[in-house]
Amino acid sequence: MADNKKMSVAEILAAARAGGGKSGAAPKPAPVAAPEAEGDAGSEPAAPVAAAAKPAAAKPAPKGDGSRPSVADILALARAKKGEGEAAPAAKPAAAKPVAAEKPAAKPSAKPAAAVAKGGPKTGVQRDTASILAAARAGAKPGPVSKADAPARPAPKPKPAVEKAAEPVRAAPPMPVKPAKPAAKKADDEDRRGFLQIALGSFMAMGFTALSVTGGLFTLGLARYLFPNVLAEPPSRFKVGFKDGFPSGKVETKFVAQYGVWVVNGEFSGQQQIYALKTVCTHLGCTPSWLEAEQKFKCPCHGSGFYKDGINFEGPAPRPLERYAIRTADDGQLEVDKSRAFQEELGQWADPDSFVTV
Amino acid sequence: MHSNGFFLKDVAGFLGGYYAFIALMNGVAAVLLWKRKNQAGWAIVWSVFAGAMMVLASLALSGSESMVPALPSAVRTLVNKLSGPMLYTVGTMALFTALFVFRKFFVQPMVAWSILNIAMVLMGLSMADENFAAIVMKPDNVPIVGLVFLLAFFTWVATKQAVVNDERIAQGLPPMEKLDDEKVLVWPDLVYTELICMVAVSAFLLFWAIFLPAPLEEPASSVKTPNPSKAPWYFLGLQEMLVYFDPWYAGVVLPSLVVFGLMAMPYLDYNKKGNGYYSIEERKFSYLTYQFGFFVLWITLIILGTFLRGPNWNFYGPFEYWTPYKVEVLNNVDLPQMFWVNLLDRPLPRPPQGAGTLSQIGYILLREAPGLVLLGAYLLLLPPLLAVTVFRGFFAKMGFVRYMIMANLMLLMLTLPIKMLLRWTLNLKYIISIPELSLNF
Repeated sequence: MADNKKMSVAEILAAARAGGGKSGAAPKPAPVAAPEAEGDAGSEPAAPVAAAAKPAAAKPAPKGDGSRPSVADILALARAKKGEGEAAPAAKPAAAKPVAAEKPAAKPSAKPAAAVAKGGPKTGVQRDTASILAAARAGAKPGPVSKADAPARPAPKPKPAVEKAAEPVRAAPPMPVKPAKPAAKKADDEDRRGFLQIALGSFMAMGFTALSVTGGLFTLGLARYLFPNVLAEPPSRFKVGFKDGFPSGKVETKFVAQYGVWVVNGEFSGQQQIYALKTVCTHLGCTPSWLEAEQKFKCPCHGSGFYKDGINFEGPAPRPLERYAIRTADDGQLEVDKSRAFQEELGQWADPDSFVTV
Repeated sequence: MHSNGFFLKDVAGFLGGYYAFIALMNGVAAVLLWKRKNQAGWAIVWSVFAGAMMVLASLALSGSESMVPALPSAVRTLVNKLSGPMLYTVGTMALFTALFVFRKFFVQPMVAWSILNIAMVLMGLSMADENFAAIVMKPDNVPIVGLVFLLAFFTWVATKQAVVNDERIAQGLPPMEKLDDEKVLVWPDLVYTELICMVAVSAFLLFWAIFLPAPLEEPASSVKTPNPSKAPWYFLGLQEMLVYFDPWYAGVVLPSLVVFGLMAMPYLDYNKKGNGYYSIEERKFSYLTYQFGFFVLWITLIILGTFLRGPNWNFYGPFEYWTPYKVEVLNNVDLPQMFWVNLLDRPLPRPPQGAGTLSQIGYILLREAPGLVLLGAYLLLLPPLLAVTVFRGFFAKMGFVRYMIMANLMLLMLTLPIKMLLRWTLNLKYIISIPELSLNF
């Protein structure tokens, strides 16, 4: 890989000639050719070019070189600079072994070489490697590209980037000059896109607006998802039976599995009450279990403990269990309403809805 | 509940193989030591030990339950009686300190080998206890047993290299790592090693999954919590932290601080030494802080949560039956209660009926004044105080901002052991307790 970075002209040429598939073979002989080609190019005068052109012209045999004639052109150029006698040995090492192009390369070179002979030698300008390479890459007519070459060749007509350039450059400066930015262009653009730009600021703003609108709709959709059409939940109000079913001091655990409620007949602040405790630990939401022998609720997750009245006394639970609303229904049964909860630390247990006096 | 015959029959086969494995392990060690010539004494010790293990193995495999080697019942009862969260935590801290102070002794290969053997034999003897085996051999908990041995091994390896390096540095020699400075390429050397490890670990996990399938529990229910309800093993330290703190602190603030603190470490560390080699002597503070946080405040809590926390999150001794009816008398009290009621013998400051919001907040602040003052002093007064006393050098080298971050991270880390000790000694629940705002500390 490292070799590729410092490829000499000869190497590039060899690689080009070897073609895509055979490129592997090319770099090997290339280094041999490189010093020769470069060394000769400098020393040989331009004159032999004409000489080279003659025999070349005699054998005009461009063999089907549609795709890359330029390579051959360049080779011819390079070779033309040397004597014809020297051309052959130079080409040999340069061309990779399997390359059948060695012959064709030498022959079709005639045509471009002749072309060079026509225009090139008269001006006495020597092509430098940069222009040769550029020509090779462009795959088109060889011509001066670099600054050194520029005067030798009429500058290409500057193609105005915008058709409606206010002042197209008519003169032919050595290098194409960028047309001055026309003032009219801006006005035109404003006419065309002004509306959206005024409405939304820019395309960036448009993108972000669309994104946020989409995001907002998505969030709304998500929020809707949280309220299902059908909810298979036990009703929040349910009857638990008559008062007689809850003797003093009893913690009724049979409603836990279905409703998540303990119905307790106990004493709170000097008053005998029946209340419904929510079976959710106030620490992290586990379900405590009622331990009859110890007369306490005990949470299996972090060991919080609550008295029968729901007051927290051990472990990390920061506040008492919550109460649900409870009342005596019209038929005399007790009815628990889970839609309302009462918290002791907020003083809500004084609310008459949070208990039924016995 | 004591071990019965059926259980012992089940476990005897495993124990026989286990003791035979220890015997084999020591036999190989004896042969290797014998070949080294200069360790002949130790070679004899380990070969004798291997013979003893073979005796234990044959006893276990004898087919008679009464012959299975086990700890005497009196010892088990004593261990159960002595064990408790207080002893456990203080004990692990003491062990940590001892391992650090006497590290030169513990890193000797023969000492480490002896400790490994003792640990394995003790575990084998304990395994003959039904309650111990039920917990240790539970598929969930097997990784924790592995963790204990693996962590001990890797800590030993690192500590040994650090001790060797410290000795060399004291003699003016470069650390061991500098001698072997050969560069190894990531690709292919490291990547190949990783590939091989990946294949080996995958195969191991496959076999593990086949032979120790995860237990299938009852269907989940929002109104029924398993008792005990345990987090995944790697979060058991977190669950143990939650016993002592409000969820927002132990579940959100402390874990975030752990992550933040780990990220901040390279920026807080001004000590250029110990870069690229193991050393304890050159970075005592960093070493101790990290190991304390990792071992005492994380690993030992995982072990505590796995093996010693039973139903209702009560503490159970290693040989104790996990009965959900164990009564543990606890009565945790908040600091305001202690201060106003127990100390000053006055009722808690309560806002009068129908007081405005501002006056309610005033009363809450008054009620929580002792806790607020204590916490404020801890977090605001201690760092500057430490800066001019213990951490004088740190403050000078780190500058104000870095020092304050370091000091606060450290103080917040220490809130955990402090709170744990306060819970056990004074039955303290919360230093600041504002249930009205769900704010407790």
